[in-house]
Amino acid sequence: MDAFELHDKPALNSSDSDAAIPAEWLVEFEAAARRPLETRFRYAFIHTYKPVLDDAPFRAFETTADYRRWCDENLPDWLGYGSV
Amino acid sequence: MGAFEYRQAQEIRDCFQLHRIRYLFIGKSGAILLGFPDTTQDADIFVEKTAENCNALVAALLELGFALNDAQAAEVRRGKDFIQLKNGPFDLDLVFAPDGIERFADAWGRRVEVEGFPVCHIDDIIASKAATNRQKDRESLPRLRSFREYWLQRRAN
Repeated sequence: MDAFELHDKPALNSSDSDAAIPAEWLVEFEAAARRPLETRFRYAFIHTYKPVLDDAPFRAFETTADYRRWCDENLPDWLGYGSV
Repeated sequence: MGAFEYRQAQEIRDCFQLHRIRYLFIGKSGAILLGFPDTTQDADIFVEKTAENCNALVAALLELGFALNDAQAAEVRRGKDFIQLKNGPFDLDLVFAPDGIERFADAWGRRVEVEGFPVCHIDDIIASKAATNRQKDRESLPRLRSFREYWLQRRAN
């Protein structure tokens, strides 16, 4: 079993990290790694009303393709759930 | 309905463990558990599609406070590929067949455990997001791929 506790690991120095990681993101990754999981949750999960999507208490789709099609046909484009 | 809270994730973890449910956090909620700093609105779980697992899932969801009627419970038992629950204490997406992942057993074998939460490997999270071909996933992929590099390096240290 693979176990990994990110916040238990020492932070990387910028010089150790892959050059492909933008510096600004690296700073954010390291800052997140220093936070306890509960804090990361508090920063990460937000709730805003999503039209149509939030208007039914339960939806079930036979296939994932059906769900994608439903999103394409029913959700506003700006929500970002549509296929590109 | 407020934002998904750590306490609620713990309730899922503890209740699903009690019911011996095989599942994995996937999507951006999974990435956040791995340490990815970003925002999301949804908690997504990838559930193994077996009769035993789906039966246990219904029992666990009812215990957590989801108001499933008989017809809805039957759809969860059948393991329909994608189920959105907004009839409980928090919103939850049940994914039985995520894009980009062939079999649950493969993802389970690669899983990562974070404080008792079973989480898809970052490669599976990226593979599923890449396969959806949605605008919102396309936008998050470059940052997720950078996070993968960072995460793998930290893991190796």
